[in-house]
Amino acid sequence: MNLKIWHKMIIGISIPSLFTLIGGILTYSYISDVKIRHGYVQIADDLKEQVLEIRRNEKNFLLHKDVEYYRYFQDAISGLNKSVNAISPPTVVEIGKDLSLLRGSVPAYLGFADDLFEYYQQEINVVEKVREEGRKLEAFVATGKYSKDLTTSFILNLRRFEKNYVLYRDNVSYNELESALSQINNITPFCFDCVEYKEAIHDLFSTYKKMDEKVNDLQSTGNKLEETTYKIATSERQKVNSFFTRTQQHLVLALILLCILGPFFVNKTASYIVAPIKRLAEITKKISEGDLTLRAPLKEHDETHTLALSFNTMLDQLQLTHESLGQSLELLHAKQIEVEKRASLGFLVSGITHELNNPLNNISLTAETMREDMGEITPEELKEYIQDILTQSERAKNIIADLLEFVGTQKTTVMEKMDIVNVIEEAIRLVANELKVAGINLKTDLPNSPFFVYGNHGKLEEVFVNIIINAIHAIKNEGTLTINARHDTVTNHIFIHISDTGHGIPEEHIKNIFEPFFTTKEAGEGTGLGLSVSQSIVREHKGEIDVESEVGNGTTFTIKLPLSGIR
Amino acid sequence: MNKTRIMIVDDEPIVGKRLKRLLEKDGYEVEIFTKGSVALEECDRKHFDIVITDLKMGGVDGMKVLETVRGKNPDTKVIIITGFRKMESSNEAFIKGAFDYLVKPFKIEDLKRIIKKAESELKNSSGQ
Ligand SMILES: Nc1ncnc2c1ncn2[C@@H]1O[C@H](COP(=O)(O)OP(=O)(O)OP(=O)(O)O)[C@@H](O)[C@H]1O
Ligand SMILES: [Mg+2]
Repeated sequence: MNLKIWHKMIIGISIPSLFTLIGGILTYSYISDVKIRHGYVQIADDLKEQVLEIRRNEKNFLLHKDVEYYRYFQDAISGLNKSVNAISPPTVVEIGKDLSLLRGSVPAYLGFADDLFEYYQQEINVVEKVREEGRKLEAFVATGKYSKDLTTSFILNLRRFEKNYVLYRDNVSYNELESALSQINNITPFCFDCVEYKEAIHDLFSTYKKMDEKVNDLQSTGNKLEETTYKIATSERQKVNSFFTRTQQHLVLALILLCILGPFFVNKTASYIVAPIKRLAEITKKISEGDLTLRAPLKEHDETHTLALSFNTMLDQLQLTHESLGQSLELLHAKQIEVEKRASLGFLVSGITHELNNPLNNISLTAETMREDMGEITPEELKEYIQDILTQSERAKNIIADLLEFVGTQKTTVMEKMDIVNVIEEAIRLVANELKVAGINLKTDLPNSPFFVYGNHGKLEEVFVNIIINAIHAIKNEGTLTINARHDTVTNHIFIHISDTGHGIPEEHIKNIFEPFFTTKEAGEGTGLGLSVSQSIVREHKGEIDVESEVGNGTTFTIKLPLSGIR
Repeated sequence: MNKTRIMIVDDEPIVGKRLKRLLEKDGYEVEIFTKGSVALEECDRKHFDIVITDLKMGGVDGMKVLETVRGKNPDTKVIIITGFRKMESSNEAFIKGAFDYLVKPFKIEDLKRIIKKAESELKNSSGQ
């Protein structure tokens, strides 16, 4: 997606905010739902309370059977009816079929109560009728008009059964009365005066039967009312509970989601926002490590795009500068080499000039003296002058020979495998006489076995002779010359150390001693080519020559040469 | 009239020996030295009108001789004789007050001409 960083940030902030808002609204609606449900519970509890009141009045009515209790009973029922009808239709729908059932049952219940009250009114009349007919039958039997078996005592007994039945209304008293009545037929089958009483009793029986049925109906309906209200209250309470449980579960779920998704989302958003910056940073790092050809990717269309653009422009320029700098450096290097070449050539030429000019000057001065004094020169003087000219010519010739030697080392030399220890020993033999004359004490520590080097015997010998002669010059009178050789088994090199106890080399001369014609010696004593030639030879043998010196204490030259293969 | 006193310093004895003979013939008083240090000591004791010195010498070299002599006695004329080609050390020598600079090998006439020139300058300055 081609989004700017601040767009990404707005999205990153609004998405979690939206989630929080939705969560808040959901929780709010849950809570208000719970509040409404709680109202239903209240209604259900009220109904239950009212029904219990009705049942209490029902009991009283059934006990007292009079108008007063009937009124109380009626009031209670109509109270419930009013409450039920006052409940708003949406609430009725919400609470459900139980409430509709309750609504339907209340009028029925009231009807049963009315019927029962009517039966109670009738009961008084029926009972009065039975008592009247009973009294009449008593009076009739007393006349003795019918069978003597229908005695007064039998009737009295019958009336006792009748009284018991009205009082107890149980099965025992009913059976006693019933059997007594049927005995009348056995005693006097055609007793017309008994008929009225019999009918009254049967009326009583049927009235009681109907009454009992009604009471049953009333009570069962009452029970039903009680059960229904109880059911409503319980179910509403359950609903509230389940609401709480559900809300709780949702909250827990939301929390878990927040815990899991929160960090993930934050991380995703953050990396989404910083991704282009990170890419740029990585490129910068790589570039700083040296690869100037890298460029920042330009695919981002946000604020980093311009940044990357300017960055790349900067890099282009940097690369250009870098390249031209490199070229300049190369040029400079080439120039420097050129200058160095010229300098060393110049040094060489000026050295040669000086060295040759001196003997030439001596020759010319001698010749001029001879010309000026032609007549006055004695034969001895003439001999001396001629000798001087010869000596100075020899000196000039030697300089040229040294120079040719120096130039010659630049050319190819015949190389062969030969024992370096032997070379050192021969060099020492060559200078042995000079050492003896100078009174120098020689100490050597050389290997007993040969060490083979690929090289030129004569040239390497010259190196050692040069260095030993320098040491002799440095020692002058008495001193010690130490020569030893060590094999470095790791690099397979041989290290030859030549130390003297001479006057040493001042710090400022150290860098010059390997230059051709550098010498501190007086004219005729040294040309300054010894070390320069030696260095050329050692390098030709892929070796190194090094010096360490302390003024007043002495000098050590170290020659390092590679050994050829296995010994 | 006093003879002109000339000092010659060169580490090669042959140079002094030949020059002494050639110059004394022309009536100069010549003393030769092969060590710069010894020559300078002699300078403290005696006055020299002209000092002819080599440049490259072990120990006290010609440049040092030039400096010391000019420092002690600005009237003394110092002539440099050396195997080095002119440009290399002549600049330094002239800056330090050398009277002239002669490259070896030189002709004796050239040296004599320079000495004459130095003498006339010496006379001019002492005459005024
Ligand atoms: N062992 C040493 N002790 C002190 N100085 C030394 C030693 N070896 C060399 N030098 C210094 O290094 C200079 C250069 O030495 P190098 O051998 O190249 O020339 P040289 O001995 O002066 O002349 P040449 O060897 O050509 O006759 C010497 O003049 C001397 O001053
Ligand atoms: Mg040497």
